[in-house]
Amino acid sequence: MTALPGTRRLLVTWANLMALTLLSMLSARLDQADQWQALPLWSAGLVIAATGFKAQRLLMVYLNLRAATPAWKGTFVGLVLLTLALIAAGVLAARLI
Amino acid sequence: MSERALPRELPNPGWGPLSALPGNPLMWVLILSEMLVFSAFFALYAAERVGATALFDASQRQLDPLVGGLNTLVLLTSGLCVALAVEAVSAERIRRARQWLGGAMALGVLFGVIKGVEYAGKFAAGITPETNAFFGFYYGLTAFHFAHVLFGLALLALVTWRTSTENVETAAAFWHMVDLIWILLYPLLYLLR
Repeated sequence: MTALPGTRRLLVTWANLMALTLLSMLSARLDQADQWQALPLWSAGLVIAATGFKAQRLLMVYLNLRAATPAWKGTFVGLVLLTLALIAAGVLAARLI
Repeated sequence: MSERALPRELPNPGWGPLSALPGNPLMWVLILSEMLVFSAFFALYAAERVGATALFDASQRQLDPLVGGLNTLVLLTSGLCVALAVEAVSAERIRRARQWLGGAMALGVLFGVIKGVEYAGKFAAGITPETNAFFGFYYGLTAFHFAHVLFGLALLALVTWRTSTENVETAAAFWHMVDLIWILLYPLLYLLR
């Protein structure tokens, strides 16, 4: 069986995931939800970056992909990045068009 | 003479290109295909939003991002429970593994209850999948994801009954995939505007 991440690493990852979720919610300015307006670019960028980091941590630690070869790691992380790039392009295009 | 590095030991020898992946290789095929399917839907959503930004923004205001965030925290915590169950079963602590799996299932059910309350509120307000394109995506994507949650719960229940390292590892991989999809879905539907 492949070496598992270990309890400490799992707990640290969980704490990071929770913190990044709260950061996303703060970045999305939920405190100003009553004054509905498009997020500033930095804010949308922070939400997308936090999401990408969460997905990477989940893949590497929860799914233990760190035990795989660099090619597989690249494939899965690349797919997440591609998905986030498409989402970011949609957000940008909606402002420009 | 310098010693050549020994070839890396593969987690799943005999599985061709999949042999380098940890856990059940077929589960990784499923994870990859599910990620591709959801990514295609996300791209479609993003493209539709460009053509109807005002409609999507107005509809998105009907969602509660705090409820979506709460569900994210619940699902990520259930993922931790499942990962700890894998650690426990690999150390042959079956009883502890079952306790962690029970915790994960309880949190999965809580996710479902929160989602159910959210759906009920929307239906009570007359918002259905046919209301507009945004809600078509909202119901379609979240219900498809919720179907995965239900299947994941059934898998977790099954491996709680038939507890072995391989079984728990396989069910855990499916559950983490459900987490992963939600991580991407939440900002798309609830946060980005």
